[in-house]
Amino acid sequence: MPKIVGIDLGTTNSLVAIAEDGVPRVIPGPDGSMLVPSVIYFDEAGTTLVGNRAKEKMVEKPKNTIFSIKRFMGKGIEDVRGDLPLLPFEVSPESEPIIRLKIFGRDYTPPELSAFILRELKRNAEAALGEEIKNAVITVPAYFNDAQRQATKDAGRIAGLDVLRIVNEPTAASLAYGLDKRKQGTIAVYDFGGGTFDISILKLSEGIFEVLSTSGDTHLGGDDIDDTLIRLVLGQLKQQADVHQIQAIRRAVNKAKEDLSAADRVEIVVQELPFRQTITREEFNRLIDPIVDRTVRPCLQALRDAGLKPAEIDEVVMVGGSTRIPLVRQRVQELFGRVPHTELNPDEVVALGAAVQADILAGSKRDMLLLDVTPLSLGIETMGGVMSKIIPRNSTIPASATEMFTTFIDGQTNVKIHVLQGERELVKDCRSLAQFDLRDIPPMPAGMPRIEVKFLIDADGILSASAQEQRTNKYQSIEVKPTYGLTDEQVEQMILESFEYAEADIEARLAIEARNEAETVLNATAKGLVDEQHANISEEEKAEIAAATAQLRGVMRGSDHQAIRQAIERLSNATMHLAELIMTAAISKALKDKRVREIQ
Amino acid sequence: MDYFEVFGLPRLLGIETAALEKTFHELSRKYHPDYFTTASPAEKTQAVRMTALLNDAYRTLRHPVRRVEYLLSVYGFKPDGSKVPQSLLMEVFEINEQLEEVKAGRASIEEVDSLRAQIKEKRERFDTELQLDSLEWDELVKSGAAEAKLKTQLEKLTTILSESSYIRNLERDLENAG
Repeated sequence: MPKIVGIDLGTTNSLVAIAEDGVPRVIPGPDGSMLVPSVIYFDEAGTTLVGNRAKEKMVEKPKNTIFSIKRFMGKGIEDVRGDLPLLPFEVSPESEPIIRLKIFGRDYTPPELSAFILRELKRNAEAALGEEIKNAVITVPAYFNDAQRQATKDAGRIAGLDVLRIVNEPTAASLAYGLDKRKQGTIAVYDFGGGTFDISILKLSEGIFEVLSTSGDTHLGGDDIDDTLIRLVLGQLKQQADVHQIQAIRRAVNKAKEDLSAADRVEIVVQELPFRQTITREEFNRLIDPIVDRTVRPCLQALRDAGLKPAEIDEVVMVGGSTRIPLVRQRVQELFGRVPHTELNPDEVVALGAAVQADILAGSKRDMLLLDVTPLSLGIETMGGVMSKIIPRNSTIPASATEMFTTFIDGQTNVKIHVLQGERELVKDCRSLAQFDLRDIPPMPAGMPRIEVKFLIDADGILSASAQEQRTNKYQSIEVKPTYGLTDEQVEQMILESFEYAEADIEARLAIEARNEAETVLNATAKGLVDEQHANISEEEKAEIAAATAQLRGVMRGSDHQAIRQAIERLSNATMHLAELIMTAAISKALKDKRVREIQ
Repeated sequence: MDYFEVFGLPRLLGIETAALEKTFHELSRKYHPDYFTTASPAEKTQAVRMTALLNDAYRTLRHPVRRVEYLLSVYGFKPDGSKVPQSLLMEVFEINEQLEEVKAGRASIEEVDSLRAQIKEKRERFDTELQLDSLEWDELVKSGAAEAKLKTQLEKLTTILSESSYIRNLERDLENAG
């Protein structure tokens, strides 16, 4: 099994970690720094710097030094309009549905920009471990919606990483804290980072980390505290500040904020203006109180959803740089009535947890298992613009729901389904996720087709759907138009455009990947053919498996990755029923064994 | 495979949640996609589907109301809000008017508390009724009662759910308003 790294792709800093012999550790960059600032600097010639060296350019080259890109993931321009006045970036006129930044005449989407950070982490890991790294677990805020998760996965793909799992940051942190040494109990993870806030309530029993509820705000973090301080300084200037000056103020207030965690008073110094002013911790607390206060409501919501009172929480864990602020610690202590855990470095704990999860996926850690939830309810648009919930928030994932659809006009051959996420009743108050277009419905009188659509949220918290017409048993093709996401074709185009790969390289890489997958499918099929369940599928199905196997064997030696993919898909579909029978039989056996054990 | 079969349980409504959780954890350890990272796409898809089914089943069966709703759906029964007595609708209408006052921010804390208590009391009455009729269902099944008797019992459960759904919605609305 090749190595799998754990990556914390943060708003302010990013980290890569690996578990070796069950012990996770952060991998430092060539400069020895554990944290890679999530900053990318572009120069005219098209070269880029990432991390500390890019951060140094923030004041000098504000327009082409990109930071806090995580706040833009899965967003359109309208979502972030409020942030733009204080940001030095040039936004492309083509920023709907996905926001794009214009850098030296070229448009970049947030996943492409995040990919620069991921590539840097990948290189750091490869240099330290002495081998190519292709597989990763990447963390996201628990409250990230479908589009934001998909954008993170796309970023991984663009960076040449196979993202084996998207893990929620607070859940990852709980894995790192070694709380499994405690056999039973409830844990609250308070994760206040640079750009996002999450609260997750977990129940621990015998190595199973079961998330009971989660809540948060994906637009609430240390950046908001910085912005408040920037506005304070701007309010006292006599002249309008330019982008260079704003960036200089940002750097100065950020330092003041950090120093105030230890000192009672500090001086905000902006030499570029010049500007000097003393701020006490008391004044600072008064300024940020409304921001810290916004974390309380999600905490109460999560407790209520978990059916627990604050006193019933056994441990509180602090994650994220903003939890260093004394006021934040004080507020959390008041809320839960106990002193929170702060033993681990709040900047590193998520990456360490991601490495632990990577270790579980690699198969070397079977005693721990993470059962996470979907943070937002999933629903579909019904008559009158009402959102009808089909998978409630805080459902353990993977989760599914089945809905029936039909036609309204005679001979109608396609049906559109609007899928949303959110808690409000009306469609207009929820987040549009995608339009599903059911196609090639056999022409029938209106209301006759019975199309069963199965919505599935996978272990990454990402939605997919499949549809089957019940009268003809025919699988329907679904075209998915993500509202705030990239299509597969767009992501592939971005991989091509990322200057790391020449076109020939990418073709070869895709063919190798497809061939490896073909091997796996063929091996699994061979195993299935000798399983006793093979007797229980129809002759027709057996013939299709044989034909699909022959086709795959035929094309897999070639270099046409699309042909290989198609043949893989055909064989996968052909063996689906057999795989289902084998799995069902295994479950029945497991239940039978369990009963036998219990009787004994 | 229906949700009861997933857990290897008969179609009874009295379910011990601690035992259900234990089986849920055991089956999760067998089928969770985390353990299928290196498997073939078909096996991976199966692992995701099976785990989704397991999670859906657990979410439904551990909840006493959703459990009844599911049992009814297995037998083709569906609670219908339009078939409830006029007197209940009147009551709901009155409570709803008070709820509107709360939503508009025109109610005092005492009024909100009294409304909450009033709704809770009604909901608890339905809960007790549902519990008793659930037990009766289990007794009928265990004693091998005739199909007609089972059907009558399912109809009774359907009626309770139809009626109580109004109260549950009111309770939820009040929570969201507060």
